[in-house]
Amino acid sequence: MNKEAVLEGLLFVVGDEGLTISQIKDILELNDDEAKELIISLKEKYEQPDRGIRIDFLGNTFKLTTKKEHREYYQKLIENEETNNLSQSALETLAIIAYNEPITRLMVDEIRGVSSREMIRKLVAKGLVKETGRSDLPGRPILYQTTSEFLDYFGLSSKEDLPKFDMMVEELTDSVDLYDSKYKEE
Amino acid sequence: MDIEIKINEFEGPLDLLLHLIKESKMDIFDLKIELITDQYLDYINKMEQMNLDIASSYLVMAAELIEMKSKLLLPRHEEEEQEEEDPKEQLVNRLIEYQKYKDLTSEFKELEEERHQIFTKSPENIKSYLEDVKFVNNSEVTLEDLIEAFKKFLERQKESRPLETKITKKEISLEERRTSIKKILKEKKRINFLDLFDVITKEYVVVTFLTILEMARLNELLITQDKNFGEIMCEGI
Repeated sequence: MNKEAVLEGLLFVVGDEGLTISQIKDILELNDDEAKELIISLKEKYEQPDRGIRIDFLGNTFKLTTKKEHREYYQKLIENEETNNLSQSALETLAIIAYNEPITRLMVDEIRGVSSREMIRKLVAKGLVKETGRSDLPGRPILYQTTSEFLDYFGLSSKEDLPKFDMMVEELTDSVDLYDSKYKEE
Repeated sequence: MDIEIKINEFEGPLDLLLHLIKESKMDIFDLKIELITDQYLDYINKMEQMNLDIASSYLVMAAELIEMKSKLLLPRHEEEEQEEEDPKEQLVNRLIEYQKYKDLTSEFKELEEERHQIFTKSPENIKSYLEDVKFVNNSEVTLEDLIEAFKKFLERQKESRPLETKITKKEISLEERRTSIKKILKEKKRINFLDLFDVITKEYVVVTFLTILEMARLNELLITQDKNFGEIMCEGI
């Protein structure tokens, strides 16, 4: 049995849910190195210019995607250019959750200066944010965190790929200066 | 001063404040509370004149700003100042914190745009590969399903139940039984002892047996048995 061919089929079947490296190991009965080798080998084949699909690592899973280079052709398929991009408030809320998770709604409200109840509800419904237990604070408020769908939505492989804060503003404050200089010493 | 009112463009009071600070080319670290409070209130008042609904969070911020401004006008005690956290500094920190995330959103927007250039497909339905179809995948059964099933069960229960039920306890007295046995003896003359127990309930059996004994005592009834373990016959006298 050609395991590379099986892997290709598996990736097709799981679609945008993707496969984790441990799933690949379990299903194909491979060890860590073998699994990585297999996926790299298949990935290289897809990268050939005569292929229209590639393997991406998004939200901690491998999945088949179309190629960015071909986007103009896909755009022709779309008849009405209705953009269902996230709103400014949604992006703000997501950013706050992503960099502070797990976080309570009240803390999000505090940073934004407005109530985020509705927005968080929408983000949970979209699957970009999920509840992840309760805080020990009085009233045991619900804690929220971002999901792997969130990472995929922004084309990120893992949390480490989140954009870094622009330090420009912070460097001006004393406390951050201290932090920075300490950081440089190490 | 002409202010263009575009309330829907702001995400909240912090966003509006940042906008006003930028407009007046103020340094965020050198925030002039008096000036910014006036501008902020001016803006809020204009919104009110236009009959726009002002979210309560904007009013909370207005109140905070006014409080800060009024404190600045009052003579300060130095001790107090040291103990309390400077509200202006707090506000500046909040604004910087908010600005940080606001700036990040443009990066997220770019990432979103980029991700929208590639496509993925939904997973295939591979349920037919499930070996034992008798067992429903647990994750497929939602709480709603259970509630629905229970409701149906209750519906069915309602239908199978009789429309009306009456539960009564029939009491038989010795006297009643005596009358009915007398009537039987009058008709049949002789009857098998066991045939008198035509209803098998504890009460009926006991009452019947007592009645027979009583009637025998009163010589209203003759009990005969031809041989040992033979049939017992009752005869009316």
